[in-house]
Amino acid sequence: MSADAVTEGTAASTDVFLQKPLEDAVPIRVRDLRKSYGALEAVKGVSFAVRKGEIFGLIGPDGAGKSSIFQILGGVMQPSDGEASILGRTPRDARSMIGYLTQTFSLYQDLSVAENLRYVGELRLLSKEEIRERSAHYLRMFDMDRFADRLAGRLSGGMKQKLALACALIAEPKVLLLDEPTTGVDPVSRREFWDALIPLAARGMTILVATPYLDEAERCHRIALIHEGRIHATGTPAELRHSLGLERLEVRANDLARAEELLRKARGIEDVQRFGDRLDVLVRDVAQGERSVRETLKDLNVTELHLREPTLENAFVATLRELEGDVSLSPFPRARQTGMPKRNTTAISARSLSKRFGDFQAVKGVDLEVRYGEIYGLLGANGAGKTTTIKMLCGLLEPSGGTVTLAGERDLRSSSVRQRIGYMSQKFSLYDDLTIEENLDFFAGVYGVPRREREEKKRWVLSFSGLEGRERQLTGSLPGGWKQRVAFGASIMHEPEVLFLDEPTSGVDPLARRALWRMINDLADYGVAILVTTHYLEEAEQCNRLGLMVAGYMVAQGSPSDLKTAQRGTLIELITDEPQLAMKILRDEMERWRVSLFGDRLHVVVDEDEDTAIKKLADRLKRNGIDVVRAYREPFSLEDVFIQTVERARREGKVAPED
Amino acid sequence: MRRIIAQARKELTQVFRDRLTLALALLLPLVLLALLGKAISLSVTNIPVVVQDLDRTPSSRRYIETLQASLTFRVAPLPLSTQPPEALERNEAYVAIVIPPQFERSLQRDRETEVQWLVDATDANTANIMRATSVALTQDFLTRMNLMAGVQPAIRAEIRFWYNPGRESEKHIGTGAFAVMLALFPPLLAALATSREDEQKTILQVYVSSISAQEYLLGKALAFMCVAIAEWVLLLASAIPLFGLRFAGTPAPLFLSTMAYLFCSVSFGLLVGTLIRNQAAAIQATQTVAFLLSFLLSGFIFPIANIPTSVRWISHLVPARYYIEVTRDAFLRGGGWAAVWHVPVMLALLGSLFFLIAWLRMRRMQMDV
Repeated sequence: MSADAVTEGTAASTDVFLQKPLEDAVPIRVRDLRKSYGALEAVKGVSFAVRKGEIFGLIGPDGAGKSSIFQILGGVMQPSDGEASILGRTPRDARSMIGYLTQTFSLYQDLSVAENLRYVGELRLLSKEEIRERSAHYLRMFDMDRFADRLAGRLSGGMKQKLALACALIAEPKVLLLDEPTTGVDPVSRREFWDALIPLAARGMTILVATPYLDEAERCHRIALIHEGRIHATGTPAELRHSLGLERLEVRANDLARAEELLRKARGIEDVQRFGDRLDVLVRDVAQGERSVRETLKDLNVTELHLREPTLENAFVATLRELEGDVSLSPFPRARQTGMPKRNTTAISARSLSKRFGDFQAVKGVDLEVRYGEIYGLLGANGAGKTTTIKMLCGLLEPSGGTVTLAGERDLRSSSVRQRIGYMSQKFSLYDDLTIEENLDFFAGVYGVPRREREEKKRWVLSFSGLEGRERQLTGSLPGGWKQRVAFGASIMHEPEVLFLDEPTSGVDPLARRALWRMINDLADYGVAILVTTHYLEEAEQCNRLGLMVAGYMVAQGSPSDLKTAQRGTLIELITDEPQLAMKILRDEMERWRVSLFGDRLHVVVDEDEDTAIKKLADRLKRNGIDVVRAYREPFSLEDVFIQTVERARREGKVAPED
Repeated sequence: MRRIIAQARKELTQVFRDRLTLALALLLPLVLLALLGKAISLSVTNIPVVVQDLDRTPSSRRYIETLQASLTFRVAPLPLSTQPPEALERNEAYVAIVIPPQFERSLQRDRETEVQWLVDATDANTANIMRATSVALTQDFLTRMNLMAGVQPAIRAEIRFWYNPGRESEKHIGTGAFAVMLALFPPLLAALATSREDEQKTILQVYVSSISAQEYLLGKALAFMCVAIAEWVLLLASAIPLFGLRFAGTPAPLFLSTMAYLFCSVSFGLLVGTLIRNQAAAIQATQTVAFLLSFLLSGFIFPIANIPTSVRWISHLVPARYYIEVTRDAFLRGGGWAAVWHVPVMLALLGSLFFLIAWLRMRRMQMDV
């Protein structure tokens, strides 16, 4: 672009910016925004506008430029070029009208909840009474008024995040900027957080939110897919889901690995994604696609085939693939001398495992079994005991009670066991101050990878992480997602028989996540036993079996489909003309957890059968003057399962509400 | 103003919340003060000396007695079988003295002889002191033996010790250590509190509010001034009995200079904290710069006049240099305003300079990339 063109564009848009009605109706306007850090251009000409009362989502992987955009809009960083305006002013001048929630929450860990609120309030020159009233108001609204005197550092992840939101709200901003507010937060807290956001937007607050979670994207009014500093698609979630013009077939068959391989080559099929016990097959023409699937898989016995709406993840992956091609997966160089243990024999087994830290019982009598060739997913809210369990299973932590057998042995610390397991933790797995190559050398060394195999293995990890030619780079300078891929590669270099993965994909973009899961599936197909924890429920679908932990108890186990079928009650999706009000009305009469809002759709869990329930709900809303446009039964998602199970456990008294 | 108070209150809450750091910040200086003040001693005493007396006459014994009478030396005889340099090599003595045969006879007949002093000059400073002592003691010996008659020098230096008549080095070092402690601990706390905001990203919360750089920094300065004043009171209350100090004149210059000095110290901490945005590195920087400079270039131990000119100019930027002047004046010299009026002025200038640089660094209240 020539210099003249830039000036011209700016002049023209400034006029538009100054029109009063527009700035009220469209509080956030970003035009051709650019930001460079030295030679690296993080934001490459981004434009979008957010309307009053809208929740607008920026969806993209780590390193896509989301945080830079937020920092510019928050007035804490200057753009390199282009313009950003908030309520018709520069972000810097509009600071008093902006609430900004950063990724790290910006809380003072050593101040109490009330002190944090007071400090922020005083910086914004609120009076004593205003601070007191509003603190009380928001703490009550977020159901945390009991914790006013607790140190922020002692709050759970979800609570910290709500406190940060309260801090951002205390000055009653007109615009709320939320930069990945729910990263690393469990599904229950995430749902609570979104439940708190939606009424704010309904009252006219304009909200810009960044998230890597595609299920959260569903709750936004409009979203923009951002990748490598550019926006590639903007629209409502429904528009984006259908932008591909594809339909999704859910397929269940006997040998999924083989089925996936066959369908990849079959004609008339656009994409195949594997999710635990099912395949998602994307097709342009349903009838032809279905025929093609049945024909291709005629030897494999297709047990189920359903037509479903495509998901946002389908759309996102397809868009990204168009942009950068799929992540190619070179075959893992196997050099095992000894054979793998027999499939379906027990790899990890725990009997009434428990762990006590002082007065606190972190894990309570957990039974669990993982077989070779199986992917077992451990789910649970923050503090449910997942990480403690995984640490006991791989011998890092001594259990207080119960027994663990790992790879057929009871002595978890013996070197023969250690040689056969791999472990990747969410943090601390790589040394930031070593180069990628030095890290790989170190791990190859400590895991005793034979010298002659090292070079080949290292090359494989680099190609798997897409970092060929960058091995001399310092590990600390990599975005989180890439680091995760290197760490994953490093943990399997010695070809373990049992693999422990603690949140392997947090912050990894969907394409890389697919590559990672293809590799995980590949390992499982080869016979490796894999135990994985995750916060992404979309990802939990990829596991063969799941265990759900609540407050140290294992409350449910089974395949994703089993768990969904085992759910009591029915999930009804309602589309109404006034979803906000409808939620409020229904919540007044039903338990809170039964009703939640996804964008413009309400999800209601009822105990009656479908028809009776729909009739009752419609009647109830009608009495309050709300028309139900559409209502139908939806299959439970894993998130529904998760939240319901936690709620039921809570009501059975297994979980004390956080105190 | 309200934002300054809010900022200061937040800092103080954090300081009081972290009891361990607070205790360390208040008690560690006291321990260090006692250690520094008592361990560093510039007087040279009890130096092991061996004497080989090859003469064995009343005169030679008299000479040895003179040496023994001095507090500087601890004298032991050296057997004839040992060569004097060996005693030095084996670290048995710093000085080996050889009294030649015919010592008495030469003295009486020729009125001239030599005594050999072999001095270990590894420590140049002690060697110098011993050279001076050797001359003085020999002079003393001659006077006592009445061998000086008729050779009275034309000018005799008549020395009297002022201000610190006992030449107690404790008072000298103690007053200095007091200043060094205040150069070290207040900036350490301030630097930590400032770099922590960056490290934990809480600074973003500050940036998005409309607090200005000067309000933010003044708030922090105010809070850590309070902590520093508490430190000062504690240090003063221990230093006075510990080193036997007494106000020699009006304490007013000391009080005023103290305020300026603490401002200097805290501003220096803010400066480090805004420049270095990592707590561990900020600790190191503060310790190295504040402690070393205040230790080496402030006249605490080594007189500023002795510092080679190529680095002496740096001492003008070291606040402790000025504050040591004023503490020594207050407790030893008692010169009052006339002697030290420039101290609060210089300290205020330096403090403002540090504050200004910190402000320049912060003034945009934005992330820098």
